[in-house]
Amino acid sequence: MTGSGEKRWHVTEPEGGLWTPSRRGLVMGAGGVVMTAGLTACGGGSAPAPSGGDTGAAGSPKKGGNFRLGVTGGGSKDMMDGQNIVTKPDQARLVTAFETLLEFDDNYQLQTTGLAESVEADNPKQYTIKLRDGITFQNGKPLTADDVIYSLQRIGTQKNGLTGFAATATMDIKNLKKLDNLTVRLPLLSPDSTIPQTLASYTFGMVPKGYEAFKGDPSTQIGTGAYKLKSFTPGQQSVSERYDGYWRDAYFDQVTITDFSDSTAQINALKGGQIDAMTDLPANQVNAVKSSGVEALISQTGGWIPICMAIDMPPFDDPKVRQAMRLIIDRQQILDQIGSGHGQIANDLYSPFDAGYDKDLPQREQDIEQAKSLLKSAGKEGLTVDLHTTNGASGMVELASVFASQAKQAGVNITVKNDPNYYGDAYLKLAFSVDFWGTRGYLNQVQQGSLPSSPYNETHWPPKSGEGSNFGDLYKQALAETDDAKRADIQHEMQKAEYDIGGYIIPYFNSLIDGHSSKVAGLKPSKGTLNLAGFGHGFRTIWFA
Amino acid sequence: MSQTETAPALAEGVDTPTPAVGSSTLLVRSLRLWRTRIGALLTLILVFVAFVGPLLAPHASDEFIAKPFSSGSASGTVFGTDYLGYDVLSRFLYGGRGILLTALVSTVIGVVLGVVIGLVAAYARNALDDVLMRLMDVIMAFPQIMLALVAVSLVGAKNSVIIFAIALTTAPRVARVARGAAQPVVERDFIGATEAMGMSRARILSGELLPNILGPMMVEATLRLTYSIAVIAALAFLGLAANPDAANWGIMIQKNQVALAYEPWGALLPILAIALLTMGTGLIGDGIARTAAGIDRERGEE
Amino acid sequence: MKFLRGGGIAGFITRRVLLGLLVMFLVSVIVFVSTQLLGDPARAILGRDATPDRLAALQKQLNLDSSKVGQYFHWLGGILHGDLGTSLASSQPVTQVLGARIANSAVLVVLAAIFSVPVSIAIGSYAALRREKLFDTLSSNLMLVLAALPEFVVAVLLVILLSTNVLHLLPAISPVPPGTHAWDYPDELVMPVATLVIAVAPYVSRIMRASMIEVLESDYVEMARLKGLPERTVLIRHALPNAIGPVFQVIAINLAYLAGGVVVIESVFNYPGIGLGLVDAVTNHDIPVVQALAMLIAAVYVVLNLLADVATILVTPRLRTRL
Repeated sequence: MTGSGEKRWHVTEPEGGLWTPSRRGLVMGAGGVVMTAGLTACGGGSAPAPSGGDTGAAGSPKKGGNFRLGVTGGGSKDMMDGQNIVTKPDQARLVTAFETLLEFDDNYQLQTTGLAESVEADNPKQYTIKLRDGITFQNGKPLTADDVIYSLQRIGTQKNGLTGFAATATMDIKNLKKLDNLTVRLPLLSPDSTIPQTLASYTFGMVPKGYEAFKGDPSTQIGTGAYKLKSFTPGQQSVSERYDGYWRDAYFDQVTITDFSDSTAQINALKGGQIDAMTDLPANQVNAVKSSGVEALISQTGGWIPICMAIDMPPFDDPKVRQAMRLIIDRQQILDQIGSGHGQIANDLYSPFDAGYDKDLPQREQDIEQAKSLLKSAGKEGLTVDLHTTNGASGMVELASVFASQAKQAGVNITVKNDPNYYGDAYLKLAFSVDFWGTRGYLNQVQQGSLPSSPYNETHWPPKSGEGSNFGDLYKQALAETDDAKRADIQHEMQKAEYDIGGYIIPYFNSLIDGHSSKVAGLKPSKGTLNLAGFGHGFRTIWFA
Repeated sequence: MSQTETAPALAEGVDTPTPAVGSSTLLVRSLRLWRTRIGALLTLILVFVAFVGPLLAPHASDEFIAKPFSSGSASGTVFGTDYLGYDVLSRFLYGGRGILLTALVSTVIGVVLGVVIGLVAAYARNALDDVLMRLMDVIMAFPQIMLALVAVSLVGAKNSVIIFAIALTTAPRVARVARGAAQPVVERDFIGATEAMGMSRARILSGELLPNILGPMMVEATLRLTYSIAVIAALAFLGLAANPDAANWGIMIQKNQVALAYEPWGALLPILAIALLTMGTGLIGDGIARTAAGIDRERGEE
Repeated sequence: MKFLRGGGIAGFITRRVLLGLLVMFLVSVIVFVSTQLLGDPARAILGRDATPDRLAALQKQLNLDSSKVGQYFHWLGGILHGDLGTSLASSQPVTQVLGARIANSAVLVVLAAIFSVPVSIAIGSYAALRREKLFDTLSSNLMLVLAALPEFVVAVLLVILLSTNVLHLLPAISPVPPGTHAWDYPDELVMPVATLVIAVAPYVSRIMRASMIEVLESDYVEMARLKGLPERTVLIRHALPNAIGPVFQVIAINLAYLAGGVVVIESVFNYPGIGLGLVDAVTNHDIPVVQALAMLIAAVYVVLNLLADVATILVTPRLRTRL
């Protein structure tokens, strides 16, 4: 991402990914194989962390310190809710105090390291969630089945307006049932193999029964996480203190999250030691900051900034025009210019970490001559069109500008319209626009953006007739398909249609680049959606060396 | 708030109004001062760069050269590449025209509007005067950058919006100075004489009053131009420009300042250009003001 | 207005206050009308999440259906009672959202005034006394250069020089955590204040110089000299009071400008003042906050001008006698 500071951050959650082969059968297998606890090193269930004996090796975690994180993209809209975010600082704040039933690891694989010891599919239309014993909320009250039921029903109630609502469409929220104090049965309205991914989305945090969002009193923000909210001023700062009864290890005494209006001020503060880490270091600064004692954490994610063509609006209602646009773009050059080379070339398809991602479709390359002849045969030579964009995520405006200058080679005249009110007024009604998305599994992404019922369908996909018109049916088949190989086949068919005549131009998958001081230890690149490797996994897997 | 009654006519940053002197005389005589000459030279050079620069640029303004913030030697360019990997020198040569034109157009509109309002108010000497100046007070209660910021955020960063906001906020400041300078002229006998001859109000304003306040108005106009450039640059610095990735000095500063410490030219060239241009117009205004004051002194001694 | 003329200094002040109130009333109308252009605040708040159901819920919650005139008088009445409404973005009272920001910006502006006014008056006066001599030439040209640098350039250069690259003396940003006061962090105030001083001093010193020159050439200073008064007495008792009057106007205008113009400096230093508050409010279409800030900044302008007018009259002997 590039030079300009990110001004706003709009909600793109929940994320989720499809099963990868390594996890095949754990959930969906016949008879329902139980996902057991302790699969990974950070598996919990143990008593609160020992600390005295940890001072051995140089690399071993140490307790103490106030971790100061600088985040851009916030403002007076900042909020605190265990299941909702509006701005990027909200994401960081959420994971200080709230945790999910399942968790993604750094490789975007599901793990049972979270609050649930297992999530078991009894049959395609019913799951059983078993909680880990001994977990307490920050007020000392134990986490029970009642809290889980309250949490899921809170998300699934439309009037609450929570970001996860759309993802609860297949859940039979009303009929959630407490089997015992630590066990919940989750019935489905229709088969949905993406439920575990949904439960691992960070906006599916578990909140205590009766919980409400922050309205001025920090003591209402009680989660199971490592840090308890102490003070919070929207648009400026929040301070959280370690919860001593936390069920896993956590090292900082305090976490301070400060809003920044501008990435230059962030970099200066990091260089000067006024903060310990920052989100969204501009890609063109990676090499420059290294010389001043700042380290860059570069995570290749599945995030993408598409140029969206509405397939039912002129001039893009002609597939030839869409095809021409996809041939005009020089993907490598865009990656070099906007991402300073940090990222991965994309092929107009999304969800690269999904097991069903079709890697065999040929990589589309720039071909100006063919683009010109396609435009000619469509009768659209010398096409003039407005491309709408906004400062929603860094890179969105630059992508429009750079694409406009590349299009000149093919005689296409693109006028960039940078509209601050884009998301308020015009969004989803535009023929030609730029948007942004985070890492997500393929079917979760389709549900969010590529179906008639999707909340954010910029391209108005799928077509009503001809190739691709069976897209919605294929999606339903895939959701219900329990065999990974067969589901991958269905997904390939869906992707083929999107690749041939879809409305997205996807130049590259961007990297998340964050800066941190060299005294911060424990950070590793992650494929997940959140910055700074899931904000240091809820600020509990990082420490001051 | 002031000036309508007793306080001397003063406006921000401008020296006390200069007395009436023929404008061409004033210009010619002010060019005898070295500061006016330097000012004129600086201004001419930068105007030249802004308007002829695009013809001299080695690359197109959107021709990708090398990775962002590559040094000159690494990218085979004079001043390296900018935040999008474009040639800094070419972007600089392309980048003056837009900002100068916007500043010029908005300042001219604002000054013309302000002079008209100021003259009408000064000549009216009645309730119209009070009403006009109160209206000017109301507009002036909003600082220029704030009004521009709100307008641009409301309607979008279109050039027309920027021009409108700057012209609107320039006019009342000019009007106050124009009115202050015209008031003593209105009191003079020859205006009464022209009135007696039955000359129309428009003729009196344009034919008799205007020439007599051209001196202070020229100083004011150069000063206003300077402020307009600063406001446009500040808007661009805050990320509010018509085309956020256009080759434009204000945008160059905003986008390239992050590399100021190690690949400085992308931000430094436009900073120098704006500073020198501001200095140039400032020196010209200063020279005219000093010349006018000098002429005044000579007269006083006559 | 004309019918209110007379009454000496008291009458003068009364007229000025009444005019100020009139201007503020007009300002309030303009602010209210123009902020209606911000569009549907509910849609703006939700942004990409403006699904019909969420939109309807929020519109109802914000009570956006009453008449515009009613809304105006309700708003104006609220202002007069010190109730500025509720921020749309943060759902907190505007006074609470802005209180600390106003204090922070006031600290900056007041400190900038305390440092810049005496210094620039001294420089301007001395330059006038030494007209066309070395000090005058040097200071005039230095002020010209400083005035030519946009303030964000000064700020960025100061950061590079004093904080991040050349020297490491001062903190690069000045975030003033909520619940604390700006003056608790004197080291963080140095660079923002210095930037503002550099932005203001050239104008004030320039006008001081011009005004002083005019006064020094005036008849009464000549008279005082002819009376054989010591030069020091002439300067301090006679020249300075008469010369400083016009300077009050410029100081007032510059301080009022700072109140609205600190936005760029606050952005560079991440300083939580009203400038950044305004940018935030405008971006979020937070109408009550935009309205409150516009009224505040306009009020600062009106009050400062009022004070400057009164101070000018009180301080300048030759004007006082005209009342």
